[in-house]
Amino acid sequence: MKDVFRAFLFSGAVALVVSGCRPSPPATTPSEKASQLKLTGVWIAVGTFEDPAGPPPWSNTPWPSQPPLTPWGDTESHRLADIKSVVPCQPAGPVFFMSGIGLFPIQILEAPDQIVLQAENIAMPRRIYTHGRGHPDDLDPSWMGHSIGRWEGDVLVVDTVGTNGKTRAMNGVGANAGVSIEDKDRRFPASDELHLVERLRVVAEGEILEDQITINDPKTYTSPITLKHYWQRRPDLNMMEYYCGENPRPQDEANFAGR
Amino acid sequence: MKATIVGLVAAFALMWALPAPAHHSFAGFDRTKEVMLRGAVREFQWNNPHTWIQIVVVDDKGRQTEWSVECGSPNMMARTGWKRTTLKAGDNVVAVVNPLKDGRPNGALVKITLPDGSVRGPGDAPPPRPLGSAKN
Repeated sequence: MKDVFRAFLFSGAVALVVSGCRPSPPATTPSEKASQLKLTGVWIAVGTFEDPAGPPPWSNTPWPSQPPLTPWGDTESHRLADIKSVVPCQPAGPVFFMSGIGLFPIQILEAPDQIVLQAENIAMPRRIYTHGRGHPDDLDPSWMGHSIGRWEGDVLVVDTVGTNGKTRAMNGVGANAGVSIEDKDRRFPASDELHLVERLRVVAEGEILEDQITINDPKTYTSPITLKHYWQRRPDLNMMEYYCGENPRPQDEANFAGR
Repeated sequence: MKATIVGLVAAFALMWALPAPAHHSFAGFDRTKEVMLRGAVREFQWNNPHTWIQIVVVDDKGRQTEWSVECGSPNMMARTGWKRTTLKAGDNVVAVVNPLKDGRPNGALVKITLPDGSVRGPGDAPPPRPLGSAKN
């Protein structure tokens, strides 16, 4: 599965070399080629933060009711609960990206050396590099961090480091929202020590994408948090634009947390 | 001003769910109250992060009040049947909103009756699709 495009091109080159010697093998049809790209497509989260239930058995793991927060994490969690601490239109981080709220789809595209994920409601894509070169030594912190992936059978194992710690709560609602729909919800911060290990696989005959996310963040949590989030393949949906700053209606922001 | 409010309905069980906010918290709106606005559309702002309907309501003394009515993002609206042309200036509508807690003429749309009599919500997730129907 790894690097299917390169394998495809390579097989084509071999076929050219040997074509003078014996009949070429049947060419891979576009549909067959597409079927190898298991993650490629448009997906929408099943379940939401408010209601994690998806179609059985694809229900998201709820965030823990008693998060193992460090003292720093506890302080940060309370800080994020104050809407004044949130910058309007600030990007989300990778955990939020992969959590979904059921309103906006993501699109995944598989290229030879990277897999690109675009969330409709988040300005920045995630790029998962599959070139096998590992993380750079001197990594500039970024909103999405640096992700590398490798295939273990049908599971894409993704390792992410290098986030900038500026993300709003990982369990916030929407790409640019500072708070959950219910303001009483506990905020789950992430620091610049965030280290994610994800196991992505497609199940349910290709219709459900499972992302098991293990959150390691020793600055924020005393032990890892593991969640499973599910997405449904939705080829009927077209990706649209979403730019938070288009019409922010600043006259309202001071009043109702329009951030 | 109060005369502009045709109806005030306590809504403890919201049959029309607010759009889950993609950008905002909707905490500033009083979700236990519904205000019915009968008026004419001044402008339909079809843009992100949320769409807005500006509705001019005239009370029995002839005073005009312009309400700002917040809806979901164009993404959420389009996937539930809305178009940027669904409303135009001058359209007479009846909108039910959750008003701001501070009393300003600003509300989150619950439902709106269009000139043709059809009723629409504030935008939402795309309609669900049963498993087994996706062929990619």
